[in-house]
Amino acid sequence: MDTYLQFIVLGLGLGAVYIGLTTGLVLVYRATGIINFAQGAMAMWGAYVFAQLRIDGTLVLPIGRITFGAKPVILVAALIGVLMSVLLGIVAHYLVFRPVRHAPVLAQVVVSVALMLTLQALVVIRFGPNSIVVDSLVPAGTVTLFGVEVSSRELIMTAVMIALAALVWAYLRFTRAGVATRAASENERGAMLMGFAPDRLAGVAMVLASAVGTVGVLLGSSLTGLNPANYTLLVVPALAVLLVARMESIGVVVAASLVLGAFQSVVNLLVSKPWWPQWAQSGVDQVIPFVVVMVILFLFGRRLPSRGTLQTVRLPDVHVPRIRPVPALVLVAAAVAVLALTQDTYRFGVTYSIILMLVALSYVIVTGYLGQISLAQTSFAGAAGFTLSKVTTNWDMPFPLAILFCSLVAALLGMIVALPAFRIRGAQLAIVTIAAALAIERFVFNNYALTPPSGNPIANPSLFGLNVGVREGSDLSRMAFSLTVLVVAVLVVLAFVRLASGTTGRMFLAVRANERAAASVGIDVRTAKVIGFGLSAFVAGMAGCLIGYSAGQLSAESFTVFVGLQILAVAYLGGITSFGGAVIAGIIGPLGIIYVVLHEVFDMGDYYALISGIALIATAILNPVGIAGETRRQIAWLRGKLRARPADPPPVPDRKVLSDVS
Amino acid sequence: MSAEQHGLRTSELSVRYGGLVANDRVELRVEPGEIVGLIGPNGAGKTTFVDAVTGFTTAEGEVFLGGQRIDGLPPHQRRRRGLSRTWQAGELFGNLTVAQNIEVAVAHGGFGAIVRDLFGRRRASLGETVTAALRTVGLDGIEDTVTRDLSLGQQKLVGVARALAGNGQVVLLDEPAAGLDSQESLEFAERVRGIARGGPGVLLIDHDMSLVLGVCDRIYVMEFGKVIFTGTPAQARTDSRVIAAYLGVPMESAHA
Repeated sequence: MDTYLQFIVLGLGLGAVYIGLTTGLVLVYRATGIINFAQGAMAMWGAYVFAQLRIDGTLVLPIGRITFGAKPVILVAALIGVLMSVLLGIVAHYLVFRPVRHAPVLAQVVVSVALMLTLQALVVIRFGPNSIVVDSLVPAGTVTLFGVEVSSRELIMTAVMIALAALVWAYLRFTRAGVATRAASENERGAMLMGFAPDRLAGVAMVLASAVGTVGVLLGSSLTGLNPANYTLLVVPALAVLLVARMESIGVVVAASLVLGAFQSVVNLLVSKPWWPQWAQSGVDQVIPFVVVMVILFLFGRRLPSRGTLQTVRLPDVHVPRIRPVPALVLVAAAVAVLALTQDTYRFGVTYSIILMLVALSYVIVTGYLGQISLAQTSFAGAAGFTLSKVTTNWDMPFPLAILFCSLVAALLGMIVALPAFRIRGAQLAIVTIAAALAIERFVFNNYALTPPSGNPIANPSLFGLNVGVREGSDLSRMAFSLTVLVVAVLVVLAFVRLASGTTGRMFLAVRANERAAASVGIDVRTAKVIGFGLSAFVAGMAGCLIGYSAGQLSAESFTVFVGLQILAVAYLGGITSFGGAVIAGIIGPLGIIYVVLHEVFDMGDYYALISGIALIATAILNPVGIAGETRRQIAWLRGKLRARPADPPPVPDRKVLSDVS
Repeated sequence: MSAEQHGLRTSELSVRYGGLVANDRVELRVEPGEIVGLIGPNGAGKTTFVDAVTGFTTAEGEVFLGGQRIDGLPPHQRRRRGLSRTWQAGELFGNLTVAQNIEVAVAHGGFGAIVRDLFGRRRASLGETVTAALRTVGLDGIEDTVTRDLSLGQQKLVGVARALAGNGQVVLLDEPAAGLDSQESLEFAERVRGIARGGPGVLLIDHDMSLVLGVCDRIYVMEFGKVIFTGTPAQARTDSRVIAAYLGVPMESAHA
């Protein structure tokens, strides 16, 4: 029993970090209606500043640095760290969040995900990719609790964070500005009538959120160390807590954060017991937030509050694709020519671009056509790749059959992930899918019992005795493999065009436009979502298998949550509603040809993530149709100019403006 | 019993929102080919009734279509059995063309449709179905217009066409004529007659008294969630309860 109490107390330290992050999430959500996926990354910046100040007395700024003669006192360093996060919060408010306050939910999710990627990339560039040790603000010590000696540090941290959360609660409860913020979350006009600009309130909320989140991460990182990934992703359990607190209650945030932290800690104790199944040791603590989210959603799904300002998920229009033989052949011929003219690293980059195009296409299906936000696409790809290593090595399943089988496995997983979409949509679905992705990543891909560290070899593919594997001898990127990838991609794209232009595509678009109306014309909305997630996961699975073949083994790094978010970023950049957007996404995607060129020619691989993050923020704010949509518009404009008179406009019967609101 | 084999019938249909009884044991019948009006002051529960019958709000009581119980079925199942509706706000798929809006109502999609989409030939007959449905509301020729670009009046007519496409047995029209001027309203009345002549029963909900009284075979009047009158338009004009429900204004002057 004593050990359990000790672990519960240790878990409170994690719980304290959750309190900080989730309190920030609640503040921002109540003031703006935006779920800030970058909450962890923003707080992490301040913690890094603090840590670096204590290491060598250097204040690192996003650009440039200030070197102090001596290391500042710990409290001063902490204050500077929090201040830097607050400044970051203000900048983020004005440059990133304010422009999308009334934008579609997808743009809001994408913008905050982009901010998260940008900050993470910036941390890697400015502070380096490795874990660093962080000075502790709270001295280590022990205290006796119920006759058990437990660590006092976590208890003090918890007390500090509870006090801060209480201050936030008091602000929301008792100050006029706080009450107006709460009013704004119900009805923005209400806040304006109270004499407050919702915008200013949102700025204040962002400042408070940054401060309280950063204090939490400052305290927590002294226990765990800091690296660019850990606190960025700690937003996922915090998002789970946010849902538990129904996006509003600070009291529930505190309680749920502490319970979750303590529970995760105790689970980590339990998995070390001999009776715990060995295959389920890794990542169980990450599975818990996901399970919590699912349970909450299925109990309260319908009653989760959504904001008073009714935003519709207006996405850019879809232009129903057709199979046009000439452009299609030109595109394929161009791809073949590029592959033939390149070799080694560059040919591999082009090949990888083709594969990435398929991953992006899976986003086009589920988000562009069906209107559902999924952040789990690389998990589907990874699931297929994972299965591929098993079936090719254990069952000797031959090449074309194996990828079909594995993609079906991915499709099945996709259909399961579709189940929460019955109840929820928008940003809340994004939370569920990112929680699912993280759970799968930690529980399956990083689970040494399932994927041994010695590697998961994938047998080289061969077709009718012909070796179509990626490597042979000194040739690291064989033409036969690249052409195989191209053929698979062409087949997938043809199937996509057939479906998108057929009954299935129409069904998706109807569901995307208006679920209620879709049901009223006889569409089974749930089946549509299951099909959409299934098809999209199937396509992602195809890509996952090709990624597996391209590496000769399964590598978990190819399928992390971050890779998924990066591909979402380029898919959105390219244009989330069209095949053309997927092509552009493939070209500019991570490890694709542009990345290779940046890396090889300019040695700017580190900046790739930063550039793509910033470009994504700009796209989401300025140009939601993406590059493909913008190009299409330019072409249409040009055609209109070139043509003397446009072809007969559709004979629309005289348009009367009917002023009808009843 | 044979009279119950066709059309729509509700029995003791009630809807409660918290303590409020929005529909109180409503009994209503629509026979095939019949035009039935449902009128009442704002807030009487007319749209709630449509929602309850079509499965968009939870209700107690029974709903029969073609003699079979359909309460408890989800909305899309009710539609597939031939009970369709329109919406007050049109609720078209704004990003789709007029033709596509109607096509989705005819070919819904599903697991089977995936195989047909991939390997089957495209159905040419869909175009005819679309044009036929549009012709009933007088809007053929705008198939390729994106519905977001239509006027609200046109959007509502496309909504009617969408409800008619396919195998409609009974169509519930929720304020289809709101926003039409009197001339358009007259034309619309003729179209509703045309619809009913084609077979399906029509339940028409509207504020336009001249339209409802002029075109309907029978009329139900609702007030505070209850049906307070059932009868022919002629009877409705002289019924004291109906007159009282309508702001104390005699129906004749409302008609004028």
